[in-house]
Amino acid sequence: MAVYNGQKAVQGHLLDVAKACALAAGRAPAVSHRLEIMTEILTDEDIHPIIDVLATLGENSAFQLHDAVALKALADSGKLPPILLIGADLTKPALWDCGACGFKTCGEYLKYTSRNKGVGVGCYGPSCVWKAIDFGTACDFACACAAQHRVEARIMFSIGAIAMLLGHLDEASMVLGLPVGPSGKNLWFDREAWKDTLSFEQKMMTQMAGGPTLSMAFSGGGNPILKSKPRWWEDPTFLKVEQDATFVEKDVNCQAKAYEKIMRYRGVFGDEDIPE
Amino acid sequence: MTRIHIDEWPPYSPADQAKKDNVLIAAKLMVNAALTAPSTGGVPGQEAEIAYGQKELELIAREMERLAHEQVIERLKKPFLYEAVMVRESDAVVFLGNKRAHETPMDVGCGLCGGEPNCSFVYERLNHYNGLIDATDRRRETAIRGPVCVIRAHDLGYAIGSALWVAGNNFIDAKSCYSVGLAGRNLDFCMNSEIVVGILLGVASKNPYADTPPNYHLTNLAKQVDAVRKITTITRQIPNHPYHTFDPAKKKKTDNTGKEE
Repeated sequence: MAVYNGQKAVQGHLLDVAKACALAAGRAPAVSHRLEIMTEILTDEDIHPIIDVLATLGENSAFQLHDAVALKALADSGKLPPILLIGADLTKPALWDCGACGFKTCGEYLKYTSRNKGVGVGCYGPSCVWKAIDFGTACDFACACAAQHRVEARIMFSIGAIAMLLGHLDEASMVLGLPVGPSGKNLWFDREAWKDTLSFEQKMMTQMAGGPTLSMAFSGGGNPILKSKPRWWEDPTFLKVEQDATFVEKDVNCQAKAYEKIMRYRGVFGDEDIPE
Repeated sequence: MTRIHIDEWPPYSPADQAKKDNVLIAAKLMVNAALTAPSTGGVPGQEAEIAYGQKELELIAREMERLAHEQVIERLKKPFLYEAVMVRESDAVVFLGNKRAHETPMDVGCGLCGGEPNCSFVYERLNHYNGLIDATDRRRETAIRGPVCVIRAHDLGYAIGSALWVAGNNFIDAKSCYSVGLAGRNLDFCMNSEIVVGILLGVASKNPYADTPPNYHLTNLAKQVDAVRKITTITRQIPNHPYHTFDPAKKKKTDNTGKEE
């Protein structure tokens, strides 16, 4: 006989579900019949470097900040769920000569990739389109498995990309992160910690950036007012298209800072190499 | 009161049709699952179409056979021919496509298409006006007109996954195929998508998509049944007999000369 603390028991159960999700990802059917799925499960402090790097990138991007803030709050409250990392090498072609990648044959694709393999914002490329589709099916099976266990889970590009750059699933060209949990209700949608992260003005700006036409006044004059306040006709604000050197510089600096952190975590830089 | 007799044999008999109607319900629910599958940024981009009925499936199978003989590389010839048989053995086909991959990229610089931190790889290879891709040019030099936005194509994988998950939960055998998708797309299924995948659905005591013998396009069950039909009529003409007055199974009494009485 034993009495279990519900919250602690749930935390342990989430790890079991994460394992089931890893199994489901590997069992997913593949259109190309040739995709090896790699998985890894991270828990507790092994997730902290990811949160740290995400927060750095988040200094200039709401996208990464959104996830960093949520993960940090979960870590602080001891509710950080296990994270299933799912990865695959999408660079090997299906050998169908289908043309979806932009090359006439898989041979031409291979010739190009042998010289031009590189990394984007979060993935290596070029990729075989069919491998990318099959990888999606595998990730979907992991999500579906979590859903069938009544566990809230959200597949995340941000977590996977940083985890890959930090050295997890090194053989993969794309990695996605699936936090299996947390327990509670809709915590990935209604993020408590996000409430006070952005000011009202910042939230309004993000919304306007997402759909400027919603707030746009008569555009026939060629310089439309963007209705950004209740008395929008007084001291009007306008929709402008312009280069933003300050933003670009801040972005470059943020990324440099994030990569420096990544190198430090990976042990490429010692503390003496780079001044804090 | 209604009595519904259900049997998987013979194909397209009323008993089999009753079973197929059940599969159609599952196919529709699979499409729902495909539409609620996770997608990059939660952006809608999937479309679906269901093929149902003997003639509808036959036309898809024939297009796959045409592709096998006229278009695809040697390595794909037999898979296309085998899967054409599987289409005929299926009860329904669910087509899933992504409308965005070839026309409205994600524009995030993920790196999947060209390994660069921007979307230049795609935009440098397609006709576009300030980033608005002209998808009205549908001429193709390859089976699929590329390059496409790979992370949008990746979204299609989730739709396929959720559809297959629903099929599996209902114990319906399902198989997602490049061949079926390509043939379906050529026949204007999911006509807003450049990349389409076809999911075969079959309910039978034996999974029709597993344990595939060699030269399946010539050795499948339909061919075996037809082989029986082709030979039985011929052979019955030899042991014919006046059955009203004579039964060859009956032993005849013979005298010691061997003569019949």
